[in-house]
Amino acid sequence: MAHQIYFEDIAIGTQMPTLIKGPLVKLQHVIYAGASGDFNPLHTDDDFARAVGMKDGVITHGMLIMGFVGQAITGWIPKKNLKRFGVRFAGMTKPGNTITITGKVIDKRNQGGENLITCEVIAVDEAGDVKVTGSFDAALPTKA
Amino acid sequence: MADKSKVGKEYAPVTWEVERGKIRELAKAIGDPNPIYMDKDAAISQGYKDCPAPATFLTVPMMWSSSMPVLITDLAINFMMVLHGEEQYEYYQEIYPGDVITATPKVAAIEEKTNKAGKKMDMVTIEGLYTNQRGEKVAKATSLLVERK
Repeated sequence: MAHQIYFEDIAIGTQMPTLIKGPLVKLQHVIYAGASGDFNPLHTDDDFARAVGMKDGVITHGMLIMGFVGQAITGWIPKKNLKRFGVRFAGMTKPGNTITITGKVIDKRNQGGENLITCEVIAVDEAGDVKVTGSFDAALPTKA
Repeated sequence: MADKSKVGKEYAPVTWEVERGKIRELAKAIGDPNPIYMDKDAAISQGYKDCPAPATFLTVPMMWSSSMPVLITDLAINFMMVLHGEEQYEYYQEIYPGDVITATPKVAAIEEKTNKAGKKMDMVTIEGLYTNQRGEKVAKATSLLVERK
């Protein structure tokens, strides 16, 4: 996984390999709550979630979806080459959703002695509703 | 609503000893099968010193230290009305098992915005620059919290 990718291998428009995650189950929220330390009951307690206006019950941790996007990125570009990774949480995810993560390189440049790429990423559900949008920068080695 | 007088305020440092098991646990919770997070030999063969922390690991010290809930309370943000709007990490070097990382969370900005539906929201930006036990910068985390009003 994540075999070395070189700066020369990447063009503007190069697609990140697609990653499909899910369907999400409530148990994964419990596991993620324990791992991350985010015990907001909005993610694990249906009664609490309904009481604060979520008619279908619990919603998924946004950071778990960011984690999925991180999995997609570092399954393609080695973790050690990742310089920046940012997301905006655009929509709520619920148990039963299947999340598809895609990405596309939008810039490629030499800057400060590094060979940088910028890639846009997006996570959507089975209906095409957007959950997360974002981007990352990576500094890649050259073949020369 | 968020207390705008707190812009620039720094909170108690968050110090976190990074455990090998926590790195593996977070990767498993995400369902990320990449062996670099589970298997030291695999990580070394791919050019790491040990299993690196996954890309979103810095959520762990913030949440497990209860730093984020303390901060939300101090800022007088209504916990029931707060959403996580954005999250960004800048990575300066890898975080490995045994590292002791420290950040001082700081309120970088509080801005009021109006959404398309005409509803007002406070946008609160929290920054944390993490250093390791050698005093080296390892990463910067920036979180945007949105308080609906």
